[in-house]
Amino acid sequence: MELIDKLEILADAAKYDASCASSGAPKRSSEGKDGIGATNGMGICHSYTPDGRCVSLLKILLTNFCIYDCQYCVNRRTSNVPRARFTVDEVVKLTVDFYLRNYIDGLFLSSGIIQSADYTMEQLVAIARELREVHQFRGYIHLKTIPDADPALIDAAGRYADRLSVNIELPTQDSVQRLAPEKNVHTIKLAMGNIRLKLDEKEAEPKAPKFAPAGQSTQMIVGADASDDQRILTTAETLYGSYKLKRVYYSAFSPIPQSPKSVPLAPPPMLREHRLYQADFLLRSYGFQVNELLPTSGNLALDIDPKLAWALANREHFPMDLNRAEPAMIARIPGIGLRNAKRIVELRRMRQVRYADLARLKCSMKKIAPFIVTADYRPARDTTPSDALRRSMADVQQQQMPLWPELQAA
Amino acid sequence: MSIDGEPGDADETAAPVDAVALAIAGHPIPVESFGDFRTAARDLIVRRIPPESVQWSGTQHAGGDLLSAANTGLVPALPADLLDQPPAPPPRIPRALMEMLQGAACYRAPDRWGFLYKVLWRWQLGQQEILSMADEDGARLQHMVKAVRHEEHDMHAYLRFRERPPEAGDPRFVAWFEPAHDVLPQVAQHFARRMGKISWMIGTPDATVAWDGSTLHATGPLMRSAADVEDSGEALWLTYYRSIFNPARLNAGTMHGHIRSRFWKNLPEAAVVPHMVSQAAAGARKVGQLDTVGKRTGTTIPIAPEKAAPERQQPSSLDDCRRCDLWQNATQAVAGQGVHHAKIMLVGEQPGDQEDLAGKPFVGPAGALLDKAMDEAAMDRRKIYITNAVKHFKWEPRGKRRLHKTPAQKEVMACHYWLETELETVKPEVLVALGSTALKSILQSGSVTMKDHIGKPFRHEGRWVVVTYHPSYALRVPSAEARHEAVAAIVAALKLAQRLADGETPE
Repeated sequence: MELIDKLEILADAAKYDASCASSGAPKRSSEGKDGIGATNGMGICHSYTPDGRCVSLLKILLTNFCIYDCQYCVNRRTSNVPRARFTVDEVVKLTVDFYLRNYIDGLFLSSGIIQSADYTMEQLVAIARELREVHQFRGYIHLKTIPDADPALIDAAGRYADRLSVNIELPTQDSVQRLAPEKNVHTIKLAMGNIRLKLDEKEAEPKAPKFAPAGQSTQMIVGADASDDQRILTTAETLYGSYKLKRVYYSAFSPIPQSPKSVPLAPPPMLREHRLYQADFLLRSYGFQVNELLPTSGNLALDIDPKLAWALANREHFPMDLNRAEPAMIARIPGIGLRNAKRIVELRRMRQVRYADLARLKCSMKKIAPFIVTADYRPARDTTPSDALRRSMADVQQQQMPLWPELQAA
Repeated sequence: MSIDGEPGDADETAAPVDAVALAIAGHPIPVESFGDFRTAARDLIVRRIPPESVQWSGTQHAGGDLLSAANTGLVPALPADLLDQPPAPPPRIPRALMEMLQGAACYRAPDRWGFLYKVLWRWQLGQQEILSMADEDGARLQHMVKAVRHEEHDMHAYLRFRERPPEAGDPRFVAWFEPAHDVLPQVAQHFARRMGKISWMIGTPDATVAWDGSTLHATGPLMRSAADVEDSGEALWLTYYRSIFNPARLNAGTMHGHIRSRFWKNLPEAAVVPHMVSQAAAGARKVGQLDTVGKRTGTTIPIAPEKAAPERQQPSSLDDCRRCDLWQNATQAVAGQGVHHAKIMLVGEQPGDQEDLAGKPFVGPAGALLDKAMDEAAMDRRKIYITNAVKHFKWEPRGKRRLHKTPAQKEVMACHYWLETELETVKPEVLVALGSTALKSILQSGSVTMKDHIGKPFRHEGRWVVVTYHPSYALRVPSAEARHEAVAAIVAALKLAQRLADGETPE
């Protein structure tokens, strides 16, 4: 099989993994050195495909042969897909060639399970080693970790890769047991715990050999089982706390060819995935907790974003006086982001904040109006019931939303 | 490293321009670079010449404002005694503002130097709000900085090199880009870091920059359009681009929102987008798989399910424990550790963050403190058994950390089964209860308190029980003195436990 045919099959097979960030690596430069590649810590998207997702890495599988039978996965052993396998040299060549033409920032390598977890992991590590040691490649490398692999192999992976990830796949242990019979939440958690211990050790001893400087991440498939958003976010919160993950990626289940009966025929609304990313962002960066966003079981609202939903359910905090409120609380006002919250606090050190200032800061005026008080403004709709406000503020565009607004903000 | 003719070098090489004299004479001040501007602006500010009395000129994109007020005869006259007055102290410009000015200087606008001078002037007047987005000039300044940064980012992202055949010699890679602002010098540095010793050239409508593997060379325009280079590598890229797209998630609006339309004409992948969109919209949306992949012959992997299952150690029954809900948020159950027939068993509360990850009791900070206390009490960790009353870590999220939470009595009771099993196998003669949870577990009572038992060993179910503080209590108490006392109490309890284990009886 020609290289181009393998690429077609093995990129197609890799596109269901949502992670794409190339940020968080330490600064590296090849100026005046042999080899190629640089990182500046920020990462960058080199293109976007018509599904709205960015291309920042060469995201491929080493092979889509797989002995596992995960029901949601197109590459499961019982699936009738064309199979292919790259050689180590082919992956290395593709990565270097694409990098030189400025198509990508690095490599995101995953694989079907062939022979055994250890054998598969050894192959992934071999590619990363070849890139780093033989080709002096200084671009970004993200390796998918096979949870059952020997910890010594995960150690080696961390020496070459910027980021490691272990996919939790589904939000509950029962779902994993049912839909991914060869996987096991216990070993997935142990692998994540092992990576976190290594990251902690490295942090405590800066001179130790490097280990996955861009940290670890994971992915959960949304809508392949019956778990609701509260379950999904609680699992995410647990994973963030336990394993210091940089990111949890949510991937709306995509129907696959010859779909088995155990998974749904239709995908969940894309908007649900988008709301989960918004909620996740509130957890990571705004200090929200899951039980604030979803106090009872159920899903996030689709018609309004989670921050607006929280504000409408917690009207006692509003209207909030921007000239007096706690900085952390200002960021909780719908329509004011972290950056604008900071700008408002900076501005009020110099003078009173006025209504027109907010328009200049490009706050979403429609959203913030009922929730704020400034030196020259009090909302007229202060006492309007929340459900009426909600109707007037619902997102009209309910079919499709931009899916990856803060995906690079790892 | 420097770029030949890089902005910033000009003020060292060109003859100095007397900006004040030009301003007095009503002539435009020539500016080729930010360095020129900085020198001129400093002289003008020192002489207190207001922005409305100065006109600036530059190269095509450097922003001369030849149509500004000056040429229409509206420049306010400068005071006649200007040069007789003592000069003002030179302005003190914070680094952040200087960096913003430098960034904004790359923004192509006819009045850019005049505007930047106005910003400096207002700063000099003490108007600090110039740094705020809420100020009109401040907003424009930030907009300029942001637009330049954005342009730089886009050029990093959307510039595409084509590879020339090796026999053509250097440069090996060639690219064409049409930046909207003067970002080529910075961007060239970016690619120099990225490409190592490999040579390349980037053409733009106004300038060209080339890297020979060690030095950057800048010249005027050399190329007129996209590099006319055949590159077979592009076919692989287009295949990748088509394959990584998921037709089931078609959302072209977002793509267009990210890549501004003016970049499309020079992006190789843009040519295949319309076909991808129309195919996805015409039915291929049902599944994520690429059409051409689906048409190939597929194959299942003939392997029996039991052969596919990875070899794993059988989980212990403790791993499978579902007596309470704590297993859900914990990594693993942490069993006790130690010699089989130890005379002394230490019982703590529950595993902590580190114990939960490592799967061993007392390895975190409390474990370190306990080790020290054992050293002091001459107790050998290898001769005792250490465990916890509760085997799963109970915690709640606090930001991105796990905050230890004391187990509830029902969880302690649920887990007592495991402590009981350990007591039956190890058969210790002395139990040391570290903290109140351990005591409650040993006595199977939620109402017992530490203070009734601390320092007073007692017999329970045929063995001695010694009660003392949990090591993490010693870590938490605020005063050094109280901490010292707590550690001393733990050491004393361990010593007592050893004496009891040796058959002594307490006085």
